[in-house]
Amino acid sequence: MSDHWKLFLRNLNEFWKAFRRNKLGLVGGFLILTALLAAIFAPALTPHSAVDIMRDSNGRALTFASPAMHSPLGTDDAGHDVWALLIYGARISLMVGFLAGFISMFVGSSLGIIAGYFGGAVDTLVMRVTDILMVIPDLPLMLVLVATIRQMDLKVSPLSVLILVIGLLYWTSAARLIRSQTLTIKERQFVARARAIGAGHWHIVRKHILPQLMPLIVTNTVLILSTAILIESGLAFLGLGDPTQPSWGTMLNFAFSRSAISNGAWWFYLPPGIAILWVSLGCILLGNVLEEMMNPRLAAHYLEGDKGMIAITDKETGL
Amino acid sequence: MRNNLRVFVIITILGLIISACGGGASTANTGGPVTSAPDATDAAVLHIGWLGVPDTLNPAYAFLTEAYSIFDLVYSPLVTESPSGEYVGALAKEWSASDDHLTWTFALKDGLKWHNGEDFTADQMAWAINAVIADPDGWAALSGYVDGFSEATAPDAKTVQIVTEYPIANMEYRLSFLYAVYPPDFESFASPEELQNFVNDHPIGTGAFKMNAFDKDRGVLILDANKEYVDGAPFLDQVIFQKFDAADAMIQALKAGDIDLVLGIPASAYETVKNFQGVKAVAFEGRGFDELIINDTSEDNDPPSTGNPALKDPAVRLALETATNRQDLIDIVLQSLGKPGSTIVPPTLGGGFWHNPEIKPVEFDIAKANQILDEAGYIMGADGVRVKDGVRLEFRLQFDAESSNYPRIADLLSDWYKQIGVKATPQGMDADTLIAAMTAVGDYDLVIWGWVADPDPDFILGVMLSDQYTPGGWNDSGYHNPAYDALYKKQQSAIDKNERQEFVYEMQEMVYNDRPYIVLYYDVALQAYRSDRFTNFIESPLGIEISASLAQVKPVDK
Repeated sequence: MSDHWKLFLRNLNEFWKAFRRNKLGLVGGFLILTALLAAIFAPALTPHSAVDIMRDSNGRALTFASPAMHSPLGTDDAGHDVWALLIYGARISLMVGFLAGFISMFVGSSLGIIAGYFGGAVDTLVMRVTDILMVIPDLPLMLVLVATIRQMDLKVSPLSVLILVIGLLYWTSAARLIRSQTLTIKERQFVARARAIGAGHWHIVRKHILPQLMPLIVTNTVLILSTAILIESGLAFLGLGDPTQPSWGTMLNFAFSRSAISNGAWWFYLPPGIAILWVSLGCILLGNVLEEMMNPRLAAHYLEGDKGMIAITDKETGL
Repeated sequence: MRNNLRVFVIITILGLIISACGGGASTANTGGPVTSAPDATDAAVLHIGWLGVPDTLNPAYAFLTEAYSIFDLVYSPLVTESPSGEYVGALAKEWSASDDHLTWTFALKDGLKWHNGEDFTADQMAWAINAVIADPDGWAALSGYVDGFSEATAPDAKTVQIVTEYPIANMEYRLSFLYAVYPPDFESFASPEELQNFVNDHPIGTGAFKMNAFDKDRGVLILDANKEYVDGAPFLDQVIFQKFDAADAMIQALKAGDIDLVLGIPASAYETVKNFQGVKAVAFEGRGFDELIINDTSEDNDPPSTGNPALKDPAVRLALETATNRQDLIDIVLQSLGKPGSTIVPPTLGGGFWHNPEIKPVEFDIAKANQILDEAGYIMGADGVRVKDGVRLEFRLQFDAESSNYPRIADLLSDWYKQIGVKATPQGMDADTLIAAMTAVGDYDLVIWGWVADPDPDFILGVMLSDQYTPGGWNDSGYHNPAYDALYKKQQSAIDKNERQEFVYEMQEMVYNDRPYIVLYYDVALQAYRSDRFTNFIESPLGIEISASLAQVKPVDK
């Protein structure tokens, strides 16, 4: 393992020490963790599957049944157990959210680094594409794209389409942020020295720039997760999810189209709403706390006095 | 302008607060979905909410029931079906058939006028019927009703005569769809396509209501009362149809008093609506059913069908039906209001005379469905999808995304089909796109849709005719069976009712066995109106919004 990654791990450790002092961050972490655990251990948390239909003694479907022993959160319009839908739905919602979030962060970081590091024409090109994507409203664009791609009869699952569309469209803010940070890092002396002793671009990016950017990338991934989950829910609510796989958005979609509100079946539409709130609140709390701790001053402080690493002082960087 | 806006906003907010407090009907029309208010404050305006919008107002090429609801109000045919089920004169005062049943003579009512004030004459009616006879491709939606017609003539200004090639068993029923369209609107089309593309946003008719405005994109359609209506001016001044995107929003609008009449309440909300204050909910066994359409387009169709070839296999069709739990569909989708479906002729037609009771729906049995597919040689693959000769049982399952029922039906069907190794991928579509992909094109596998049958079985049986599989025709499954087509001709000219019943029974059996459709259930029509504001509706299986009903609806005296 390279020194830089050791450095990164050590930073993480120090970071945790600082982090656990922050109550809000802990709450955020708790919210995300519980949702993740519920999704992973869904089969252990309910005897029903998401497609089981609850039935009365005559074998007829129990629709819009209020919460009871057999189904702790009641049943939906089709007699499905809402609790089972909720935790199996967490799998889809979180998976789409996480994958889309990671893709967008990966694309955003890569483009940001490339633009910031190489500058010039590359920078202009990437940033103009970013600008164009930024001025197009996200949700309508995604709606149109998802709908169009699904009409094309490609042999891809609706969920993959959703993940790719969110992931490949939602990287713009990350790209800008990473680019500006790259711009400051590449001007630092250790980069200049590495270049002077003949390090290639790839080496410099990997060994010197990426480790410095890592905290920023982690923070933004957490923040983008919440947006990705919200967008997934929004698209699924509008009927663009995978209707065969329950997610929180498709639950809301069914609750809306099947008159849950007129029926007063609050147990059908409140839980997915609260679940979305739960996870996105968790991401935002965690992300904000991380962001607070990761401001450049703090980052410079972490890097000080490392063996073999060139220390940066406030005087040198002008920060 | 700014002041007006402020007042509007304040009124709207007040209205929202009032309705949010659950205070029942708010008395003022508080910025409802429609902004076009009548001039006088005491004008009687009936706001109707529905979930669809007419596809076009051109009767030559209209498919959705919403369009026919409007035609019924704006246009008049010679005769029409009354709420009690028999045929009464609309434009015609009286009529008779010759002894050989080949010549029909209609005497028109006195004082008939078009909406634009011109006199209505018999030769205009004859022109409208002849236009359909002469151009069956252009008048695709109505051409089925003139099957066997030779010509219509107007011996004098008050008499219309129709000559047919063979005796027609259901003449009155057929004529009830041949609207008197205004000839100058329809004369100038050079080709069938031109006629079909005509949007007819301002139809001129002779009906109880005349067109004021139609904005398809906003889903608003405004009709004004025809004060010159031959059967007496309606009591209402204006009828406004407003499309809602969601059933819940529509029902809340009824509760709040923004709309006065709701067409097509989803079954899932019926119990709730029944308990609203000042609202009367009505349910009646309708003539509608929902079905699963299986692509049956023939191999030599042009363009070639994209349907999965495995759907041609009767075993696959039988397995699909065996894996369809009709009782669950009724309990879940219709909240137990409805009956299991079997044949394409609903049990309500002719008081049950035309429905073949011998045909029973296949029992739901997943194990048996699996066995059927096993025996037919479909091997379960590692991914849970059956395969035979390289053909995977993997189907598109498309439906109109605007429906509140179809997404749930699709969800349930795909769950059941998954258990028999069939992968059905639900896909909500725009209705117009779906129509364009189906009839004459065959670009689909499975589609969930519904029909509302006419009072006579002729129409719903005609949906399976091979010659209706043309652009604008009624056949959406691609069913093609010469024996069936021949029987259809026979039932049309069987003057003896019992003889005709035999043909109709046999046709139902053919369709049932060949399964171009799996009829899921016969539904119940659910409607509701603000009984604290309007009265005098005629409640009949035809719906409370028909012309005969709306023409006599009165506002409740305050």
